[in-house]
Amino acid sequence: MFNKDEKIKIKDAETIIGPSVKVKGEFNGQGDIIIEGIFEGTLKTANALYVGDKAKVKADIEAKDARVGGEIIGNLKLRGYLEIGPVAKIFGDIEATSLSVAQGAIINGDIKMSHEKQPAAKNGKADETNE
Amino acid sequence: MHVYIYDSFLNHNKYHNLLAKIETRITDLGLNGKICRLGASKNYSATIQDEIKRGAKTIIAVGNDETINQVINAMNGSEIPLGIIPVGKNESLVATSLGIGRELLACDILSARRIEKLDLVLANDTLFLTEGKITTKGSIIEINQGYSIEILEGGEVSIINLPLSTVDLPTTGKFKPDDGLLEVFIKTKETANFLKKSVGQSVFTTKELTLDNKSYLLRVDNSIDIKTPIKIKSCPQSLNVIVGKNRTF
Repeated sequence: MFNKDEKIKIKDAETIIGPSVKVKGEFNGQGDIIIEGIFEGTLKTANALYVGDKAKVKADIEAKDARVGGEIIGNLKLRGYLEIGPVAKIFGDIEATSLSVAQGAIINGDIKMSHEKQPAAKNGKADETNE
Repeated sequence: MHVYIYDSFLNHNKYHNLLAKIETRITDLGLNGKICRLGASKNYSATIQDEIKRGAKTIIAVGNDETINQVINAMNGSEIPLGIIPVGKNESLVATSLGIGRELLACDILSARRIEKLDLVLANDTLFLTEGKITTKGSIIEINQGYSIEILEGGEVSIINLPLSTVDLPTTGKFKPDDGLLEVFIKTKETANFLKKSVGQSVFTTKELTLDNKSYLLRVDNSIDIKTPIKIKSCPQSLNVIVGKNRTF
């Protein structure tokens, strides 16, 4: 499920939405969340979000850090680091303090980088984009 | 006083020798008390509530998983500790998850009197301690009236307080029976291609949920079937139970 090179590691996910599960509605969590299936609605968590390569998300998202591999239709608001994988497709605006984008990713939306420094993005080798 | 609740199936002749051995062991350990043999006419709730009023110090369920569940429901949130002596044709998964061995081994665990305060789960009017299981086919789950879960493949839904087995559970979850939370664990069938096999696993943590399934029942504590729709919620710290060293939590 996880790649060695990914900088966001999820060891103790509170919620896992598996590949054959569809969740609809308002999700408010405190712990880490893994999405490998389908999510529709709004999603907020105080911790990290991992969106798998085959996941489909149609939601506005608020989280601390995130690793996006699959498709997201909606706005992403992160207090920390966002890592976008090579097959990711994001149709929406992005707000984060630190960002890395792999070659091949598709982003259709505005990117806003805030100046707050967050410890989550330490030692990142990836490209950083500032608007 | 210790009160031993014998399930009605133990009235069968084939259990007489085994029960005699258990009673001898109980006496040797100084744990002797009153034995209530339940027959077809005797009711768990009336018998146990009477014994609680008379000052029972420990209620001990002697029987299988169904016996344990019936005794838990009859105790109805009492502070008095529950002891378990598993007897019967099949292994008691509930007792095993509490680290309680069968028959004579269970008597030694009673004697050690290691008590844990655990959560129970209320499913409509029925309490259960461990897991509720139902097929994913036709199951609709709503969590905290906030979001709903639709399962797109065949498999099994488990509503877990105390896991009956940790074999299939993801290592990421907590699955603790004393945290006031329930885990909804969804395991969908193995999907295989020529390179690898994978099992779909989903986990949600909540204090309450509703479950509906038009065709199938929810089986709780490996023994009792409950009709849907069901409102399910955690009842934190509701059972004092005597456990063994080999418990799974």
